[in-house]
Amino acid sequence: MNPVVLAFETSCDETAVAVVRGREVLSNVLSSQVDLHARFGGVVPEVAARAHVEAIRGLTHRALAEAGVHPDDLDAVAATEGPGLVGALLVGHSYAKATAWARRLPFVGVDHMEGHLFSPLLEHPEFRPPAIVLLASGGHSQLVYAEDWGKYRVMGATIDDAAGEAFDKLARVMGLGFPGGPAIDRASEGGDPDAVRFPRALEDRPFDFSFSGLKTAVLTFIRQATESGDLPSLADMAASVQEAIVDVLVEKTLNAVEATGVRVIGGGGGVLANRRLRRKLTEAAGERGLEVYLPSPVFATDNAAMIGAAAVHHLEKGRLGYWTDSVDPGRRLDVRE
Amino acid sequence: MKLLGITTSTPGSGVALADGLQVVASASRVDRRGHASFVVPAIDFCFDQAGWSPEDLDAVVVDVGPGLYTGIRVGLATAQGLAAAVGVPLVPSVSLDAIALRAATGRRHIWAVVDVRRGELAVAGYRPVPGGVVKDGPPELVSPERFRALLESDPDDSLVVGDVAALEPGLLKGLHRVKTGRPRYPQADAVVEIGMGILERGEIPHPDEIRPLYLREPDVTINWGAIRPDSPWGNAP
Ligand SMILES: [Zn+2]
Repeated sequence: MNPVVLAFETSCDETAVAVVRGREVLSNVLSSQVDLHARFGGVVPEVAARAHVEAIRGLTHRALAEAGVHPDDLDAVAATEGPGLVGALLVGHSYAKATAWARRLPFVGVDHMEGHLFSPLLEHPEFRPPAIVLLASGGHSQLVYAEDWGKYRVMGATIDDAAGEAFDKLARVMGLGFPGGPAIDRASEGGDPDAVRFPRALEDRPFDFSFSGLKTAVLTFIRQATESGDLPSLADMAASVQEAIVDVLVEKTLNAVEATGVRVIGGGGGVLANRRLRRKLTEAAGERGLEVYLPSPVFATDNAAMIGAAAVHHLEKGRLGYWTDSVDPGRRLDVRE
Repeated sequence: MKLLGITTSTPGSGVALADGLQVVASASRVDRRGHASFVVPAIDFCFDQAGWSPEDLDAVVVDVGPGLYTGIRVGLATAQGLAAAVGVPLVPSVSLDAIALRAATGRRHIWAVVDVRRGELAVAGYRPVPGGVVKDGPPELVSPERFRALLESDPDDSLVVGDVAALEPGLLKGLHRVKTGRPRYPQADAVVEIGMGILERGEIPHPDEIRPLYLREPDVTINWGAIRPDSPWGNAP
């Protein structure tokens, strides 16, 4: 069964619409609001919601046209239900439900994090649970044990900032732009990741992350190095900061793999677009004979194709939404089946 | 001409189906937050009652505010999705116009009021004319005090309709030529009626121009530290 699904994702600052057939991506379009929010130094919920309602109609049209799919060919409509910004979520969810109702199609509400869990599958059909999946973005950082599709246990999470948030804050400290992840990735080119050794926190909590201590350490280091006049180059600094975040993410992922005995690693979320993280995860997995499946950057960051892929699973299981369904901004990923 | 009208710009949500000006089904509910769980089930219920299917529709009329931002966007996104899926025009209607249209008055000058929160009101004035009302000008945002001043300087007897209950107690005290009345919220059948007028006059905007009527810029606290960080390396691009 390869249902054709029109999927929407509007949980944060990307208006995203996609058409999938089974796990094949027929189209995947998005209108990024990064430039809109960059001048405010972060995502402004009201600005995001306004942009979604302006973009969604045209994007839907484009997604269908690029997929070469007529609305008559659709089998279902899906949308992110949460977690996310309530005003932003409601735009995609409302648009999707109305579309499904008008076309007499089933509607499927999808957990945003479950969407990320399915994202490696879009390009790697062989990716399947049991797997440890590292989900890291500006809004979330979790290690998920996917025992099976639909059966998830959150093994660890950040106790303060999300990894993407840490990149943002550290980029600011170094005078780099927003969003911080790509800025640090670029600035670290040619830099020495071992130039400065920053602390890797939470040695006693094998699956959890903490990044606030790193920010303090970096600030202290910059102050002292400026005073003593031996400030490293920006490239060395960026590479070293990046290394500290990446090392923690890789180490905790490997801890989860060891604890569960699974042989498969997956990833999702904007931080997985970081080139250093991808390389180190792939190398570590290779050394241990583990399989690793990472979505390319376009499917790692928020997108609607991953929501479509997760929706296909729900359709296969016959789990459909109701017209009375609404969004759940604080929704948590956990065992569902 | 078969029309669907949707209003979710205030705590009072409503959906109505009309054939011409004949309302064939309607549903309403008062709930400040529940717009999203109300609107599609209400549409489903109304179509069921009327025995219509989505393809029977000729246009969708939607209340674009002013009012509650999130509510407006739920209604607009729903109407956009539905109109696009069926392939019919989308027609915008202003919440204050719908309220004024149903104000029961023969001669009084009408002031329609919607509570837009944060201590402000959206208001507009209307003159009753045979078969409807004519707006004095575009809606504006005012403080309660400014609204009272507007009423005080109104040379005519006036009728305040809309969310009067949201006004500060005593705000209208001592204004002897001012009466208050219903409706409190926009009614979906009035939204349909306004849409019908727009369609008859052929004034339908392009769907991309149909935007919520926020009347103010988003409340943004600019994080200057984030924009101009102090860095020993200067500001990289
Ligand atoms: Zn995400």
